[in-house]
Amino acid sequence: MTEPLSKQKETITIEGVVERSPLGTGTWSIVGTDQTVEIFQAQPEEILQEGLRVRVTGQTRPDVMTLAMIGPVFEIDQFQILG
Amino acid sequence: MKRLFWFALFLAAILWAIGSYPGLSNEGEFDSIILNFRDDVDVAQIEQQVASLSGLSPQLNSSFAEINHVYVLEGDRQLIKQLRQSDLKQYTEAIEPNYIYKTLEVPNDPDYAKQWNLKAINMEQAWSRSKGEGVTVAVIDTGISPVRDLVETAFVAGYDFVNDKEDATDDNGHGTHVAGTVAQSTNNNYGVAGVAYKAKLMPLKVLSAFGGGTVSDIADAIRFAADNGADVINMSLGGGGRSQVMEEAIAYAHDKGVVIVAAAGNENRNSASFPARYDHVIAVSALDSDGARAPYSNFGAGVNISAPGGSTRSGNGEGILQETVDPRTGEGVFRALQGTSMASPHVAGVAALIRASGVSDPDRVAQILYESANGVEDDELNQFGAGYLDADAAVKLAQRGQWPFHWFFRWLWQTAFFKLRLWFDASAVPIIPKLLMIGVAYGLAVLLGSYLPNPWPGLFHGGLILGSAGLFLLRGLYIFDLPQWPLRLLGSSIPEWGTAAQANPVLNPITASVLAPLLLLAFLLSHPSLKWYAIGSALGVGACLAVSAVLDPECLWIGSGTWARVYLLVNAALSVLLAYLSLRTEAE
Repeated sequence: MTEPLSKQKETITIEGVVERSPLGTGTWSIVGTDQTVEIFQAQPEEILQEGLRVRVTGQTRPDVMTLAMIGPVFEIDQFQILG
Repeated sequence: MKRLFWFALFLAAILWAIGSYPGLSNEGEFDSIILNFRDDVDVAQIEQQVASLSGLSPQLNSSFAEINHVYVLEGDRQLIKQLRQSDLKQYTEAIEPNYIYKTLEVPNDPDYAKQWNLKAINMEQAWSRSKGEGVTVAVIDTGISPVRDLVETAFVAGYDFVNDKEDATDDNGHGTHVAGTVAQSTNNNYGVAGVAYKAKLMPLKVLSAFGGGTVSDIADAIRFAADNGADVINMSLGGGGRSQVMEEAIAYAHDKGVVIVAAAGNENRNSASFPARYDHVIAVSALDSDGARAPYSNFGAGVNISAPGGSTRSGNGEGILQETVDPRTGEGVFRALQGTSMASPHVAGVAALIRASGVSDPDRVAQILYESANGVEDDELNQFGAGYLDADAAVKLAQRGQWPFHWFFRWLWQTAFFKLRLWFDASAVPIIPKLLMIGVAYGLAVLLGSYLPNPWPGLFHGGLILGSAGLFLLRGLYIFDLPQWPLRLLGSSIPEWGTAAQANPVLNPITASVLAPLLLLAFLLSHPSLKWYAIGSALGVGACLAVSAVLDPECLWIGSGTWARVYLLVNAALSVLLAYLSLRTEAE
């Protein structure tokens, strides 16, 4: 809990549906079965389509705060579009 | 003798508290005095008396006042005292302060009518007392753009921590909107209004055009605000994990006297996000236009107060309307947004009004916000913290002088806040009914004392307490990020178990009956020691049901009328009877 935030990064894979969240001025999110994550800096642009099912690999960014506050911020390294 | 001494001390403390409270009698403001002459005094006599007040020049209040013999003269409390002791008194019906009644301040901004959120927090009454003059509010966000409806608002220098430059213009539209809620130019015949529109804004950009930013930039911005004269900080942002850098920056700003307000987060979950959950930060949950918790708002652990955040699910009319910047064109645009981001600046704005009223200690500003909030009954999940933000009540309380029980609430708050692991919501614990239930349970046990072994077995005490009140202090306890229902269940008595997990204060007639003690006795009566637990709980349940029948008889399916009372009382009697019969059998 008190470790430096940079050490809390670990690579994980998430599967879910890309959605535009209407909180504040809005943000892009991936809504999975057990959690919703916010896509870090709206990248990659290829997956930013409402309703797109994706599998993404990357890290949560505990050192980042956002105006949308809808869940952990997820920095995507790799993605796979499932349809 | 000793008891008498403590009673006298208690009485003295109460009298001192009442005496030091400025109270209602000092509340009114006046700069003139009314002289109302008796109707049987003739005009010549009145004129003679008026002439005798040389130098004070009393005037007839209005052309109608001559008939009523009402005169007005300039003066203060001292003069009233002198006049009441003079000869004049015998000719008058009254010599009293001519109180100044302030009217509501309805701004002339054409779209003010669409700002349901400002009416919801009683802004019109509050503006007649304070508009935030002389206070600086730092908006730590995506920056602020000087749109048309911020032209008459004062600014102080800020900083862009994302691009490391002095100009902190907004490239997202969020920060300008939030700043608008705090201090949109008001009464300027344009656009909409803001809460503390005479306050100065300090734009601090920490979030990029995408709406995200690093903890280190945010911590720097907090220190910048504290070092550059900000009185209030608003952070409509959140997420991430616990950060020592951030925690220290918040403690630094708090030590410098800055009030820090943050959004509780939009995950619709129990527990406020960081930074709202840090100590010294006022965490704000969001309300929709009906006063319900907005569907996205976080609640529970860490939430201190609630304010309008809107919900655009059923249309833009239900959102929070301010002027902001369209990032694609750079032009001003009026947008209705939703989020705890929108709720937080309402509280920051009211905090600015409190600061402008002369209260500088940030803990006291927070207390005034909580004390003046419109409390919500049966808020078992702590969706609203201290309640709905009330700008009018907050400013009135701030201007009323020292709150006499200040030290008590500070003590309560500080001891109740177990830093970042545990959180205690005292309002969720119905202390008086619970103590009454325990008292009645022990009273019944004393009445049946002749059948009990001496000393009473420990399990008998356990049964009395768990049956009557449960470990009731646990009801208000939260562990951050964990569900609260197990604690609530442990904190509830046996009759309350049927509805405790759902945080429903209404009783379930199945558990709130003789059934549970009957089952316990059936299973445990043959056990040499556990039987005492069963007997104790039967008495406890009897006490709980009896007290509930009197104080709050509401049951599922039955309602809260006579039938509910009868049902609970019958079951209470049956539980006590069961305990009595078991004890008599045991004694034989």
